[in-house]
Amino acid sequence: MQENYLAKWLNGELSEEELAEFKKSDEYASYQKLKEVSSTLKAPDFDMDQAFERINEERMGQTPKVITLNPFKKFLKVAAVIAIMLAGSYFYLNTLDESISTQFAERTEVTLPDNSEIFLNADSQISYSKKNWDKERNVSLNGEAFFKVAKGKKFTVATDHGTVAVLGTQFNVENRKSFFEVTCYEGLVSVAFNNQETKLPAGSSFLVINGKLVDTSQPKEAQPSWMNNESSFEGIPLEYVFAELERQFNVHVKTENINTALLFTGTFNNTDLNMALKSISTPSQIHYKLEGDNVLFYAGNTPQ
Amino acid sequence: MSNVCEDQIFSSIFKAHSKTVFNYIYYKFGNAEKANDAVQEAFVKLWENCAKVSPEKAKSYVYTVANNLYLNVIKAEKVRLKYANSVDDHSSNLSPEFLMEEKQYREKLENALNELPENQRTTFLLNRIDGKKYAEIAEMEGVSIKAIEKRMHLALKSLREQIDGI
Repeated sequence: MQENYLAKWLNGELSEEELAEFKKSDEYASYQKLKEVSSTLKAPDFDMDQAFERINEERMGQTPKVITLNPFKKFLKVAAVIAIMLAGSYFYLNTLDESISTQFAERTEVTLPDNSEIFLNADSQISYSKKNWDKERNVSLNGEAFFKVAKGKKFTVATDHGTVAVLGTQFNVENRKSFFEVTCYEGLVSVAFNNQETKLPAGSSFLVINGKLVDTSQPKEAQPSWMNNESSFEGIPLEYVFAELERQFNVHVKTENINTALLFTGTFNNTDLNMALKSISTPSQIHYKLEGDNVLFYAGNTPQ
Repeated sequence: MSNVCEDQIFSSIFKAHSKTVFNYIYYKFGNAEKANDAVQEAFVKLWENCAKVSPEKAKSYVYTVANNLYLNVIKAEKVRLKYANSVDDHSSNLSPEFLMEEKQYREKLENALNELPENQRTTFLLNRIDGKKYAEIAEMEGVSIKAIEKRMHLALKSLREQIDGI
C-alpha cells in the first residue's frame, strides 16, 4: 500500500487493486463511516454581509485620516524643534570667538573685519572676537602667521611667549614650542617679551629660542619666505628646521647620531619633499631616508 | 488591467474568499470572534495595499495576513462544529437506537477533532467542510502537497483510532 494511502483514498486516487485490498481490511468500515459523517460537518455561521460592511467602514474612514492630518502635525513638531535649536545656537555662537586653524601641510588666509589680512602657515591657529573687533583689535596666535594690518587702532597679537603690538604694518609672528620669532616688514612693531618692550623697525627680526634672545640677520624679502612656498633659516638649530619640515609636508622626522643643535642656514622648498630633503641634508653633510611618511636623518653611510 | 483597488474586483475577491479565511482561522483556534477579526484585518490590509497586490495574488495574500495575525499568539480552544441535518430530515422513520448511536458518534468525532494537532485539524476540515483540494490547502499553508497528504493521512488515522477507542 502506497504512502499516505488514507489521503489518496479520500481523494479517490487509489488504484483498483489497492482499493480492493483496502476494502478487505478491518478498519475500512470505520474509515468509510468517518468519511461520510465528516462530510456533513459545518463550520459556524459567518455573516459575510456584516463583515463586508465593517471593512467598508474602515476603508472609507481611513483615507482622510492618514493623508491630511498626520504628516503636517509631524512636520510642525520637527520645524518647531529646529527653529528653537537654530535660535539657541545663533545666540550661543555669537558670544564665541572666531577661530581659524590649519593642519599639517595646509595654509589659509583670513580677512579680518577691518580688512587686515592674516596668512596662516601650517599647523597654526588664530582666534579673535568678531563682536568686540571695533573696540579692540586683538588676535591670539598659536603657530606662525604673517600679518598685513590695516591702519587704525592698536593691533595686538597675543602669544604664550609674548605680545606683539602694532598700529598698521606688515609682520610675521612665529610662535612654536620654545621658539618665538617676530619679523617686521613694514612700519613699526612693538614686542613685549619677559616684561621688556622691544621696538622693531621695518627690516628687522626678534628671535627667542629656549627663552634666550638670539641675534638674527635682517630679512631680505618684503614678506616671509613661506609666503613664496619656501622655508628660510638663518643660523637656526636643526631641530627647528626639522619641525618646520614636519609641518610643511605632514611627515615624521627621526634622527640618528645627529646633533640637532647644529645651526642651519638655508632654504627648503615647501612643495617638493625630495628637493627639500636634499636642501637640508647636503649643506649639513647628513644623509636621509624616506619611507612613506617617515623621514630618517642619519650621519655616516648606513642607517642602523 | 484589473486592479484590486476597484470596488468591483475587491468585493468579488471578498465574496470568494472571506468565508474560507474565516473557517481557516476558526479550524486553527476554535474562536469565532478571532476568526471574524482575522477576516477584517486581512481584507483591510489587502485594501491598503491594493495597488501592490495583483488580483491573482490576492487570495494567498489574505490567507498569509490572517495566518500571521495569530501566529503563536492565541491558544486553541475547542472547535465546535455544526452538522448538516440531512439524516434527521429524511429519515424520521429510523429507530431511536440508530439516532442515538449517530449522536454519540458525532460527539466522539468532535472530541477526536479537538485532540488533533492544529495543522492536521485545519487540513482535514478545509478538505471535508470547504471541499478544498490538497493543492489549495498546500498553497494556503505554504507547504508542499505531499506534506498536506501526510497530514491528511495522519488525521484520518488518529481520528479513527480515537473514535474506535484503540
